[in-house]
Amino acid sequence: MAFPDVVLPESACRLRAEVRAFLDEERARGTVLGRPDSWLAGWDPDFSRRLAERGWVGMALPVEYGGAGRGFLERYVVIEELLAAGAPVSAHWVSDRQAGPSVLQHGTEEQRRFFLPRIAAGRCFFSIGMSEKGSGSDLASVATRAERTADGWRLTGTKMWTGGAHVNDYAIVLARTDDTEDRHAGLSQFIVDLRAPGVRVEPIRLMSGEHRFNAVHLDGVDVPDGMLLGQRGGGWKQVTGELAFERSGPERYLSTFPLLVSLLRELERRPATAEQLTQVGILTARLHGIRRLSLGVAAALDAGASPDTQAALVKDLGTRLESSLVDTVRGILPTPADPYATPGTHPELLAFALLHSPGYTLRGGTNEILRGIVTRGLEQHR
Amino acid sequence: MNTHTIDTSAPVISADAYDTTAFYADADSIAVVTNTTAPDAVALPSPGASTAQLLAAAQEAGRRAVPGPLAETALVARPLLRRAGLPVPDGPLGYAVAPELTIRYARPAASPVGSAGCSGDDDTLLVTGTLRRVPWARTATAVVVLATAPSGPVLFTLAPDRAVLAPGVNLAEEPRDDLHLAAVEIPAAQVRRVSPELLDEARLRAALARAALIAGAAERCVDLTVAHTTARTQFGRPLSRFQAVKQEEARLIEEAALVRAVVQAAAVPLDIGGPAAHFAVAAAKTQASASAAEIARIAHQLHGAIGITRLNPLHLATTRLWSWRDEDGDETYWAPRLARPLTATTLWPALTATP
Ligand SMILES: Cc1cc2nc3c(=O)[nH]c(=O)nc-3n(C[C@H](O)[C@H](O)[C@H](O)COP(=O)(O)OP(=O)(O)OC[C@H]3O[C@@H](n4cnc5c(N)ncnc54)[C@H](O)[C@@H]3O)c2cc1C
Repeated sequence: MAFPDVVLPESACRLRAEVRAFLDEERARGTVLGRPDSWLAGWDPDFSRRLAERGWVGMALPVEYGGAGRGFLERYVVIEELLAAGAPVSAHWVSDRQAGPSVLQHGTEEQRRFFLPRIAAGRCFFSIGMSEKGSGSDLASVATRAERTADGWRLTGTKMWTGGAHVNDYAIVLARTDDTEDRHAGLSQFIVDLRAPGVRVEPIRLMSGEHRFNAVHLDGVDVPDGMLLGQRGGGWKQVTGELAFERSGPERYLSTFPLLVSLLRELERRPATAEQLTQVGILTARLHGIRRLSLGVAAALDAGASPDTQAALVKDLGTRLESSLVDTVRGILPTPADPYATPGTHPELLAFALLHSPGYTLRGGTNEILRGIVTRGLEQHR
Repeated sequence: MNTHTIDTSAPVISADAYDTTAFYADADSIAVVTNTTAPDAVALPSPGASTAQLLAAAQEAGRRAVPGPLAETALVARPLLRRAGLPVPDGPLGYAVAPELTIRYARPAASPVGSAGCSGDDDTLLVTGTLRRVPWARTATAVVVLATAPSGPVLFTLAPDRAVLAPGVNLAEEPRDDLHLAAVEIPAAQVRRVSPELLDEARLRAALARAALIAGAAERCVDLTVAHTTARTQFGRPLSRFQAVKQEEARLIEEAALVRAVVQAAAVPLDIGGPAAHFAVAAAKTQASASAAEIARIAHQLHGAIGITRLNPLHLATTRLWSWRDEDGDETYWAPRLARPLTATTLWPALTATP
């Protein structure tokens, strides 16, 4: 399986310095706090807008649609810097990573002109409406239906685990439009206004007590024709076509990186033992290797390939590291995790990362499913 | 091709080396010949090859279990000789970083303080001590030694027949010979005074060469395992159709990809030198050594009984993994060296230092 080693372009290195300077300003402002899982839990629309003013939201979108027309590798540099710093990027995360590219690729000209400039301005936030109670790994089994009406579609069903639906503007909803022999063929994607009549967003609390995702009840929601995204019946292809983007990014190995930074801060206060250094070195080596693999996928995407198997491989390795890092950090410096400790202290960050940890290897396709893809992919390569 | 040939009628390792039976090297190039009955020469790095190409060749040598010091010669011994300004001899080369050797000057300068042998009229050395577990010493035309003379660090070449050779092997039965030196004279023409940094560079080169070999052996484990689980049928299906097998196989594939990535990522930094080289190589050897156990474990588990025998080539890869992870610094040697310079503020910059 090919993974090119990547040399980042000069432009990307300059960009990195600019992002670091921006992050220093934001730290001084008190908005960037080095928190784990900030792409899920760090919701700050003002931060998103300031980022957009720099051209760093929707930056790979073409200039004519309000984007910055830059490559995936440059986008990669920006988002890895933001995640490593634990910056609050969750408001625009799905718009930037998925909705923007998806509307660009599958949307009508009208949809592009409407959504893309708003996304790039950090003023239009999206959720993902795929999973349901009965449809997790087996996504093609979704039961939400879209019925044809005179001038559009009527959607009925309940989407589960919809991140940010209570604060975002739109959701891209996968629904069944046609009963076909091949169950993959009758699915379509819709852009649903989360404030439309008939949409009811019901909070689902995480075990930490946080409200991050929801059940979204669609009780006969009217969606105009112009909000069908892509082809009727093309939903499955569209969803799976996005997977390489969704699976290989730095958010698949950096979610708990800020906890490692916190550990090093703690270790600076006392002489580290050889065993502690060994463990830190082993974590660092693994992070480094996974980052290089992830960059390899970004380069392949930049070159127009669709490296789905490689992306699944990186996501399995990366998310396993995210979760094992938490326990390794705990082992290196035994600390009782305390959710009520002062925010930003090591015991609080440990508690936060730990309470979020089971999600790392579930969201966006579970690791068991990913490993199935990896094995199948390599057998086919032979 | 003008080559130096190891006598292939008397293989230096056990007779069941599956692919590779000959290894050639001259000053300009290195070649392995796979399958000597129908020679299929794979010309490996020629002069001017980039570090990335040398690493790819070393990986290939690891994958094929090449019975000769290809990686050691191409990535360690030759570059060090060039750095020191010594001619590169033909043939396979060994290396040893041995600051613990006792070194005197053979032609002591008349010294006012009378410390005979601490400085010399010329750099001819008298060397005493033991070079331990030198890779392929018995087949090498010369061993490149980095040591500390009274004047400071030196690099010299040693013809193995000048030493008493005590043969040894690693788990894969690759030669790892001890060379005992009792006041062996090394002519000044074979000696160069070098900077202390060259000792560090030698350690980095050796570690990275070893990591590249590990990456190759890991890839061999993947190849053999995927071939086995698709070919072998149990319960009426190929093994690879079982979820439990898929899950383990994917971990194997991923771990091998990870090792290859860290090795490739060290090519550019090694040429740059300094902290970037230290970071990338320490990470590469740490990861390669740390991954070896998991890679060998899964490959053997999915092979079943055949894999632990000499009826099947898997052992060529796994015994090398178990040896190579320890050689040139294991993960407990490199990981703390990787971590020591890192702080909360330098960790991320270190990870992103190389473009
Ligand atoms: C933090 C978080 C945020 C999320 N956000 C969103 C969101 O915004 N929008 C959205 O639509 N969804 C979201 N999800 C849902 C996510 O996509 C699903 O959790 C995921 O697809 C798995 O589905 P499931 O939870 O129903 O588990 P299941 O599919 O029921 O799986 C349960 C277990 O069985 C295993 N399993 C299932 N099938 C197989 C198989 N064929 N072979 C081997 N093992 C198998 C799985 O790997 C897993 O271990 C989110 C999930 C999390 C954890």
